Amino acid sequence: MILAADGASLGFPILTAIVVLPVIAAVLVLFTPRRNPEYAQLLAGAATVGTAALTIWLLSSFETGEAGFQFVSKQTWIEPWGISWHLGVDGISLFLVALTAFIFPLVIIGIDPEREHKSYLAWMLLLEAGVLGTFLSLDLFMFFLFFEIIIVPMYFLVAGWGHEEREYAATKFFLYTMFGSAFMLVGVVATAVIARNSLGYLTFDLIEIAEGANFATSTGRWLFFAFAIAFAVKVPIVPVHTWLPLSHTQAGHRSVILAGVLLKLGSYGLVRFGIYLFPEAAFWDFTRYLFLTLAVIGIIYGAIAATMQPDLKMLVAYSSVAHMGFIILGTFAFTEQGLTGATLQNVNHGVSTGALFLLVGWMYERQHTRMIADFNGIQTVAPIFAAGFMIVMLSSIGVPGLNGFVGEFLILLGSWDTARWWTIVGATGVILAALYLLWAYQRTFHGVPDEKSKTFPELKVREAAVLLPFIAVIVFTGVYPKPLLDRINPSVDALLEHVEERTDLVRPEPEISQEQLERAQIELEEEHGEEELSTEEGSDEGEDE
Amino acid sequence: MSQYLPLVVLLALAVVFGILSFFASRLLAPRRPSSAKEAPYECGIVPSREPPERFPVSFYVVAMLFIMFDIEIIFLYPYAVNHSTLGFYGFWAILFFSVIFFATFVYEVARGGLDWGPMQRYRQLATDAAMVTPERTLASTVRRVGTEGREPESSSPSAA
Amino acid sequence: MLAQVDTFVGPEVNWFALSPLIALVAGALLMMLAGALTPRWPNGLYALACATTAGTAGALAMVQWDDITDNGPTTLVAGAVAFDTFSMFVTILICVSIILVAMLADDYLRGTPNDGPEIYALLLTAGAGGVVMASANDLIVLFLGLETLSLALYVLAASNRRSNRSGESGIKYFVLGGFASAFFLYGIALVYGATGTTNISEMVVALQNTVDLETPDGLALAGVALLLVGLGFKVAAVPFHIWTPDVYQGAPSPVTAFMASVAKAAAFAAMLRVLVIALPFYRDDWRPVIWVLALLSLLVGSVVAVVQTDVKRMLAYSSISHAGFLLVGVEAAGHTAGELDPGSGMSAVMLYLMLYSVMVIGSFAVVLVVQRHAGGDSSIEAFRGLSMRRPAIATAFTVFLLAQAGVPFTSGFIAKFGVIQAAVDVDSYAIAVIAMVSAVIAAFVYLRIMLTVWTGTPAENSEPIRVPLAVGVTIAGAAVFTLFAGIIPGWLIDATDTVTQYAR
Repeated sequence: MILAADGASLGFPILTAIVVLPVIAAVLVLFTPRRNPEYAQLLAGAATVGTAALTIWLLSSFETGEAGFQFVSKQTWIEPWGISWHLGVDGISLFLVALTAFIFPLVIIGIDPEREHKSYLAWMLLLEAGVLGTFLSLDLFMFFLFFEIIIVPMYFLVAGWGHEEREYAATKFFLYTMFGSAFMLVGVVATAVIARNSLGYLTFDLIEIAEGANFATSTGRWLFFAFAIAFAVKVPIVPVHTWLPLSHTQAGHRSVILAGVLLKLGSYGLVRFGIYLFPEAAFWDFTRYLFLTLAVIGIIYGAIAATMQPDLKMLVAYSSVAHMGFIILGTFAFTEQGLTGATLQNVNHGVSTGALFLLVGWMYERQHTRMIADFNGIQTVAPIFAAGFMIVMLSSIGVPGLNGFVGEFLILLGSWDTARWWTIVGATGVILAALYLLWAYQRTFHGVPDEKSKTFPELKVREAAVLLPFIAVIVFTGVYPKPLLDRINPSVDALLEHVEERTDLVRPEPEISQEQLERAQIELEEEHGEEELSTEEGSDEGEDE
Repeated sequence: MSQYLPLVVLLALAVVFGILSFFASRLLAPRRPSSAKEAPYECGIVPSREPPERFPVSFYVVAMLFIMFDIEIIFLYPYAVNHSTLGFYGFWAILFFSVIFFATFVYEVARGGLDWGPMQRYRQLATDAAMVTPERTLASTVRRVGTEGREPESSSPSAA
Repeated sequence: MLAQVDTFVGPEVNWFALSPLIALVAGALLMMLAGALTPRWPNGLYALACATTAGTAGALAMVQWDDITDNGPTTLVAGAVAFDTFSMFVTILICVSIILVAMLADDYLRGTPNDGPEIYALLLTAGAGGVVMASANDLIVLFLGLETLSLALYVLAASNRRSNRSGESGIKYFVLGGFASAFFLYGIALVYGATGTTNISEMVVALQNTVDLETPDGLALAGVALLLVGLGFKVAAVPFHIWTPDVYQGAPSPVTAFMASVAKAAAFAAMLRVLVIALPFYRDDWRPVIWVLALLSLLVGSVVAVVQTDVKRMLAYSSISHAGFLLVGVEAAGHTAGELDPGSGMSAVMLYLMLYSVMVIGSFAVVLVVQRHAGGDSSIEAFRGLSMRRPAIATAFTVFLLAQAGVPFTSGFIAKFGVIQAAVDVDSYAIAVIAMVSAVIAAFVYLRIMLTVWTGTPAENSEPIRVPLAVGVTIAGAAVFTLFAGIIPGWLIDATDTVTQYAR
């Protein structure tokens, strides 16, 4: 099978190194002297930058056009239970890994925890290792291990360095996600145990199970939902989203990580451990329409809730709910564009919402309030800050030329064929996004600054250094998404082929070659892009007045 | 199960008898309370102290010794009767048993189970040694009686 | 009559095979005797002697383990004692627990009237009782072990003579434990009535020949029910758990740690022995009962723990919910009891017991340190700001609590994973899901403790917390083991996989 094929290999376990490096650094950080937090910071910064460097190496040596897992490293770990240390990366996970490795150094270098640097940095590094491990695991047991361990550092980060209601928020976060994982653990075990019947031996290996095992229809569906609950909580899909706004507002700057990376664990898990592992159950009409409906509800509900928020962070948090709805919509459209768009949008949302949270966090640092009503006319006082905010916000809205547009457009394009009505309703979410974000921008940055806002400090150099990479990625992806799409596409294609073989999913036969298709696609995008650009600009101006 | 029937009948009879006699005495017996009848001891001795009283723990220790030897006898008796048939295996078994019993006896005696004098268990060598230090004076050892309310002496026994 | 038994031949006794048990008993007796006849030993020597004895017994058990792997399991002393890896595993577990508890008890007992050989001898005696329970191949022997363990524990629970709570816990444990023992004994009698033997091997044969699954024997079933009551009490399964919080809270912390590890392990070993090995033919009758016990223990243990304010009580309730998890494993073992492929339930229970014992002793060691500092106060307030005063202890405590919550990369996760795997293996999905959900509820309890430890600020006047060396070593050792077994559990899983080759 294509998906099982080993791709590039460097003769060096680069993936293991990426996962283990932060762990080692975390342990070392604990042994730095308490009096000199700068040592700890230096060490942690070096480790995250090192991880990022390894990831860049990974990106550069990743074989474009190869669908299967690359840089696979597999070691027997717990033999009696058939568990192995199995890491691998493909187009779907590649950019999520890159996103993680990119955000963490920025957060660690860019944000000062103000107190208890040592434990803060150690938890951050462990969190990074956990997230990377989750994205790279190709073993059910390992995946669960990393998926679950993330809760611990996140809990301590929120509980230790958050805002006033942090303990309540941290506990709620922990219990929600633990609750989801409770079902997933049973699902993981059951998957391996049931797969043993058709495989003949006990293994937790994702590829072996996905390719070789046969699940009875109803069994597969049950198992799928055992996994899906955990992922739904993480994404979060609407009925189980209530932990998210609370955690975001209370987490302080950790919300950058939360929005940037942690939410992706859910959407990534749905693709890798939902669709890939249980294609039949995922393609089952009930599942598909359930998730599509919940996704659309999430888009609309998140947007409406965001519009009503007086608190900037709440607003961004609810906009996350809406954006994650788009990703789910694309995922369950079961078309190449939809899934590619969803994968790309995962990264985009991480970048733009992460940056938004960063900016809102700085605003809170300056004025110790997150209320929209407390800010006035910042644009005149701090124009550079406002410009940065503007770009990030436009990317979040999905303005053509910036990254958000590419992902959302692909998602809507992809879901148009298979889920037309959902797409139509979901597309209004784009307009609503423009509404709440621009309105919030207008209220905070426009107008005449009052007494308090007059003292709003301009963007600092350190902050600018953190923000610039975000904006660079936003613009680059928006203008030239081809390198990303080229790497994502083959894996998505292979995944859909995998689904096609096991279900009655029928994809349109590509009458033209893949290359032509891509070219046409990009042209199409550009066309549509210009159209939307003009309308968006019109509305933008209208809002400004 | 039919062989158990007499047992059940007996059980039922016992219960019925108990209940019957309890209520029968209440219903039939005449009530003429008198002080002699209410006394704790029917033999007539007037108790000088309240009945619920704590015995010194030494009594319990002796009682435990008694039970210990009781148990040993319970096992020794059958062995003595059958010692020839049990042979050497029985001999070694009972010897082993007795040795363990003896060990517990030694333990109890060593811990002062038979000391009926003033409390002197757990006498530690360190305390013994501390008894003959030069810091000890008469004033620090013997408590003066009847000094309450008087002026404290200048050489108060603070060294102790 | 007398002439007939003239040729009495004593049973063949393989003394060396019994050496772990003999080492424990002899150690206890020698310590009592030598301790009584000599003046006070130097500080720490009593604990050292106790730990050495337990260590010797554990080492001997490992030697026996090799023997068993080479020559296969057998029974000893005319079939009264089983000689298999199952019993040896529990023996090693008990010995490890005794060593850890002895190290805790050392500092705790200094300066109290109990500073002598007695407590340690009682620990060894209780341990010997536990070993007998785990290796009994005869219900009467099992009862002997149960009583040896229980009587020693009653005394240990009440051993803090300065505390009313301790006395209360001792008397409570004694009275209720006496009831439970009586139930158990009556159960043995009824089972004897049904099968005509108390020997487990013979019982299996007898049932094989006579059991009639269509019309179950009321006598035997009543016996099984009573046995379950007795064992349910010992493992603190709901609804036989009423004693647990009071006894755990009142008893001295080292003793609580001992109860949570040794007593629980021995009782679960006995439960497996009685239900899975001796009574597999009634498995369809007792398994639903275990299912219900597991369900109740899981839910009651975790839910009631949430509202506690005393850390020892919280841990007591959490131990009830852990008992629920273990019962899930027993239930899983019940599906395949007596079959040629005995499934993974027994192994999972054994693994859980081993890992849980170490982490629970570690937890109570931390409680001991804090409680001593706070003058006997074990309420959650006493733990406030522990991280600022003793970061290392707080970290270790966090490790133990996370392990109890079943967080990955700790031994607790491996333990839970094993049990869940065993349950799923036999299609017990419902109880597996319930177990995991109750683990989430229980996690809330551990979170509360962790929050207090990490985010609270300590009271101003507090002097530095004293951590005696032996206690520190215990905590560190337990924490390292908890992490190590969480990351590299293969060797332990291999060891526990052999326990299904039990003596028949």
